[in-house]
Amino acid sequence: MLRKLKNSLFLIYIVLATFLVTLPLFHIIFSVFINGFPVILKAGLSFLTETLPPPGEELAGIGPAILGTFILTFLSSLIGIPIATLAGIYAAEYPNSFFSRATRTLLLVMIEFPTILVSLFVMSIVVLPMGRFSAIAGAIALVIVMMPYVAVYTEQALKSVPERYREAAYALGLKRKQVVFRVMFSIARKGIVTGFLIGIAKAAGETAPILFTAGGAYRTFFIGLDKPVGAIPLLIYDLVQQPYSNYHEIAWGSALILLIVFLAIFIPVRLSVREVKL
Amino acid sequence: MDKFKISLFPNISLIFGIFALMLIVFFLNSLPSIQKFGIELYTTNVWKAYEYEHEERYGLLAAIYGSVYTSVIALLISIPLSIGFAIFVVDFAPKKIKEPLIVITDVMAGLPTILYGIWGLFVLAPFLRDYIMIPLYKTFSYIPLFSYPPTGYCYFTAGVLLAIMVTPFATAIVRESYRMVPRIYKEGAFALGLTKYETTKILLKYIKPAIVAGTLLAFGRAIGETVAVSLVVGNTFNVHPSLFAPGYTISSLIANQFGNAFIYDLMPSTLFAAGLSLFLIGLSVNLLGLQYLKRWRYA
Repeated sequence: MLRKLKNSLFLIYIVLATFLVTLPLFHIIFSVFINGFPVILKAGLSFLTETLPPPGEELAGIGPAILGTFILTFLSSLIGIPIATLAGIYAAEYPNSFFSRATRTLLLVMIEFPTILVSLFVMSIVVLPMGRFSAIAGAIALVIVMMPYVAVYTEQALKSVPERYREAAYALGLKRKQVVFRVMFSIARKGIVTGFLIGIAKAAGETAPILFTAGGAYRTFFIGLDKPVGAIPLLIYDLVQQPYSNYHEIAWGSALILLIVFLAIFIPVRLSVREVKL
Repeated sequence: MDKFKISLFPNISLIFGIFALMLIVFFLNSLPSIQKFGIELYTTNVWKAYEYEHEERYGLLAAIYGSVYTSVIALLISIPLSIGFAIFVVDFAPKKIKEPLIVITDVMAGLPTILYGIWGLFVLAPFLRDYIMIPLYKTFSYIPLFSYPPTGYCYFTAGVLLAIMVTPFATAIVRESYRMVPRIYKEGAFALGLTKYETTKILLKYIKPAIVAGTLLAFGRAIGETVAVSLVVGNTFNVHPSLFAPGYTISSLIANQFGNAFIYDLMPSTLFAAGLSLFLIGLSVNLLGLQYLKRWRYA
């Protein structure tokens, strides 16, 4: 009797746990829509193109932040993806060397690493010498954050390619470089592209790394790589800490846009591959 | 050594170089403050920012205490739920909802943290204040744990928000290892006439290292999380036992103070010292966690 009771309690517990674990996501999506959608509806299409209004009644738009996020993501991908991919190749191709093992551990540690520290680091080596916040500083911080994801995915994708393809490629007389880039890459491309996209999603969504590097500029559009630039996550963080109600509304609207961008990248990626590790 | 290997080497060195340089930068920048205040920098709770160097005094205890306190709250909530969720997904979920459940946690793991932040600030904090904190405070305010008049922005809210954020990571580790327990143990347990509860209890013993690893890695995530926490933790220099008291965490202290720290002589250095402690805690917790994970994988 007692055993049966315990068993039933256990079953109730795990169903409850499942419910509690998944509930917040639905509530977050729900809240962002309920609060963000009316704002965008009210502001209209100009929400995407106009600059930030003064505190008060206006909504205007978040154009500079959207452009800023695009620039930062593009720049950091341009720098980070090639380096990280090559690092991933090294870890996959020479799995038993000391450096390769150390690299793998380092990459996993860097994935877990507090991103605010990256912000401090880039501030002291880029922002202070330059004398001002800049798009390039923000991009460098995001490079450091995204690289480990891209490298780990590349490594795992390459490792999942069956040995016989490599042997066949060697048997054709290809060099190691050709084997990797011509044969292994095209077989593992799905996993590798997934890594790229996860890295891009990270770069677009992170706030802490650009906190003390990008600077934030919401009333002027992009004016140069060495000048401050805004970003959607940073804008939300700044706006919610201000006491003005129109700023809170703009923050919710921006959150909805960020959520849509994130889901648009993440969901297709997640559905096309079976396992996504973050 | 072949040419290809050598041509890849600069990339690896760059990543190692960045990491090493980071450690050096944090160490060098925190030296002035550590030299001035000594061990008291980490053991006292003072924050006197003056423009004259000899009057400045800083102690990071409030931030370190808050970081550990909020992360522990997060783990106490998150680990039992992660295990329950993992068991449900692996053993009980019908095929149709198994995959969607995993997708949900993966989305949660990747969701930009600022979205947790804005939700925590405007939705979770008022909810917890009205439906959990105020009733507890009214009835149990003589217990130190519930003794602070709740405003909603406190250790507890930060802990709950962190629990929501780290659960996807913890549960993924537990789930992956639980899935790999050989079927034969389960069949054996059922053959002995054990109930599902008793069987699961036995199976969980096999994946203990994975649970430890998940706990450590979740702790590492929780202690490093910045923007979401800084929006709900209250940002007050406080070392208070109550769950409902506002406080600081290391990362929220940095996020809040670093912007105007350069007016003062020693504040930047102090914040780098705070960062250094976070660096070392994060590094050791994560290395230990990865070690446990490896031990379990190759066992």
